[in-house]
Amino acid sequence: MRKFSVNKEKKNTIPTDEQIRRHKNFSRLSHDYELLTKRPKKPIYKDPKKFFYVIIAGIILYFLFSKR
Amino acid sequence: MFNKRNIKSLSDSELIQLSKTNQKYFGELYERYFDCIFRFVFRRLGGNETITGDLSQQTFMKAMVNISKYEDRGMPFSSWLYRIAQNEVNLFFRENKKDFTIEIEERQFICILEEAEIGSYMSIDDQEKLMEMINNLGQEQLDLIELRFFQELSFKEIAEIYSITEANAKMKVYRILEKMNLNWKEKK
Repeated sequence: MRKFSVNKEKKNTIPTDEQIRRHKNFSRLSHDYELLTKRPKKPIYKDPKKFFYVIIAGIILYFLFSKR
Repeated sequence: MFNKRNIKSLSDSELIQLSKTNQKYFGELYERYFDCIFRFVFRRLGGNETITGDLSQQTFMKAMVNISKYEDRGMPFSSWLYRIAQNEVNLFFRENKKDFTIEIEERQFICILEEAEIGSYMSIDDQEKLMEMINNLGQEQLDLIELRFFQELSFKEIAEIYSITEANAKMKVYRILEKMNLNWKEKK
């Protein structure tokens, strides 16, 4: 929740160039973006759904070749 | 493809198109607009530098992630960034359970008094009552009052942030002021 109040003393609400420079960092933003969008892929054995499909495919292939 | 000097000469819309396929072009947009977004957030937070830094970075992160969805509707690119920043600040206020006090200048307060035709002078007691009335406005109304009187944006800039016409922005603000005037008279 925000509340406004009247400031009697003149307090500066405009940031200085130095303050802006301290926080301006595109390399950090780029790095964070990479972390957010290019997450490492999960190995198949850690993904139950994919692991299940691989097992099913393996069983089908086994039966196909064992009949021959 | 483009060297540094060439990138600087590209227009916003060209940079946006290029950013959709290569994030390095977003860096120039960041260079161009970081300062104004930082100032905007800084004033909305009443001068809290650390939180302003975080929310400004967060604004550009969201812009970078969603740049592929950006559609040029003839509005300046900055208005899209301002809208994201506005949402980020509102989200911050919602998530912070404790009250966050933002100090405004006395001249800004007098400007509201004059525009709402309440008068130009007030006792401290009355000032506090009116401030309470402003603080009790709904979220959207408070946002509009803040953008117009505390951020001192023009109606054109407000209209661009909300994707509405300038006349509509003006009408919305003056309706709130009228309502404030009526409530004030009732209280008195």
